[in-house]
Amino acid sequence: MQEFLEFTLGGIATGMIYAAIALSLVLIWRGTRVLNYSQGGMAMFTTYVAYVVIRHTGNYWLGFVLALAAGLVLGAVCERTVVRPTEGKAPLNSVIVTIGLLILIEGVAGIIYGGQYRSFPAAYSVTGLKIGNVSLGISPNDVFTAAAVLAAAGALALVFRYTAVGLRLRATAFNSGVARLLGVRIGRVLTLGWALAGLFGALAGVLVTPTTFLYPNSMDAIFVLGFTAAVIGGLDSPVGAVIGGVLLGLVLSYAGGYLGSQLVLIYGLVVLALVLMIRPSGLFSAATTRRV
Amino acid sequence: MTDIPALAVEDIVSGYGGGPVLDGVSVSAPPGTITAVLGANGAGKTTLLRTISGFVRPRRGRVLVGGADLARRRPEDIARAGVAHVPEGQGVITELTVEENLRLGSLVTRDRARRAAALDDAYRRFPVLAERRRRAAATLSGGERQILVIARALMSGPRVLLLDEPSLGLAPRVVAQVMDLIRQLRDEAGLTVLLVEQNARSALGIADTGLVLNLGKVVAKDNAATLAADVGLRRHYLGF
Repeated sequence: MQEFLEFTLGGIATGMIYAAIALSLVLIWRGTRVLNYSQGGMAMFTTYVAYVVIRHTGNYWLGFVLALAAGLVLGAVCERTVVRPTEGKAPLNSVIVTIGLLILIEGVAGIIYGGQYRSFPAAYSVTGLKIGNVSLGISPNDVFTAAAVLAAAGALALVFRYTAVGLRLRATAFNSGVARLLGVRIGRVLTLGWALAGLFGALAGVLVTPTTFLYPNSMDAIFVLGFTAAVIGGLDSPVGAVIGGVLLGLVLSYAGGYLGSQLVLIYGLVVLALVLMIRPSGLFSAATTRRV
Repeated sequence: MTDIPALAVEDIVSGYGGGPVLDGVSVSAPPGTITAVLGANGAGKTTLLRTISGFVRPRRGRVLVGGADLARRRPEDIARAGVAHVPEGQGVITELTVEENLRLGSLVTRDRARRAAALDDAYRRFPVLAERRRRAAATLSGGERQILVIARALMSGPRVLLLDEPSLGLAPRVVAQVMDLIRQLRDEAGLTVLLVEQNARSALGIADTGLVLNLGKVVAKDNAATLAADVGLRRHYLGF
């Protein structure tokens, strides 16, 4: 019972990180039908931004905020420069371009920062919380992680629901042709979608890296798990992305806890394969077919 | 009719790669008039509207709205210049609510007060939409959807309204209502309408002028009553 509680709370906390990556993938997929393979690489790079800022200023929060800002800028710049020319072309073009972008970003990070593993600070204490004598299996930093992703996702939901920008984003995602007929400048909307995706990726990067170390490939595995969460949620649905992230976090936490933690990434791939076999459109997507 | 035309299409050649679908088409619509665009399937009626609204780039010719040439501009910029295009069939964004569809139509207006006023106007003019404002647009009937897309097109306060087959798939009673609505928009709001229709009889019933397209060329252009009275034209091209 004690273990179950620990695994559950721990799973939710890690699941929120998968949810953040999944959200970043969904934000781009909905608008452009592009799967951004470089999302993990972008998140790694913005985490280096935070790392450098924190080392030089000693101020964690300055690094945190600048990493998110860097995510916004990096997402927008990548869309404008590299992804825009693939628009309206064969889907494989954007796949190749975003994989190329991943290799480029990881290469540049290696050139600038080297390949060594660096430890990255957590915002709050990572020692386990207890209620009385009962260990909860999560730390104050895990609580912060979950709260930060939930707050960001909640803010995104409010923007989608209640603002003109959100209405443009949704209209473009559902039917970009009609949106253009109504005067929506979809070029700007798509850039904004990539910028927001960059923000969520950057958030996931600074939240997860205290547990993984920072190096040029540090986000590769997290990206695969975030992608799995997005597929569980249907790739189209922001709500599905968050729920998919939490479900995956729970499954991997139970599997890691009861079966052994060496194979967590493998369990993640098994979940991905099962979802694609049994319900390829995900749990929350209206679409019945998917071309990936 | 000596005014500057609200919409003038001059010698347009346009198509989708391969041979031109429109081959030297010109249309001139004075302000506050309805121009019916008639012709068989494949005559180029929809392509004409898509060329005006920027989804098809003309190879030659000009599209003048209030004197400014909009040919080869992007669809969103043409929309912002005051041309509202109501496409055939599924122009409703079914995942959004009725009100969100309407609000989307008003976003080209920066002024929030004017957006709100446009929404009030839409609900006053179309009470059926007010009743269903919070519902997903997917729940509307065909006739209600047609009303919604026209109401949405009006939200931006356009100068020119392009309507593609607004009667398609509607029951005859609803067709009459839609035609009445189009006539009202001309008479009350002074809108300039280009009306593409298969249903030539209904369209000529409300139009001021009409033109008949065949295989990408204008084969007849006259005022609506004259076209409707031309037995040969009716038999060959209009089917009534």
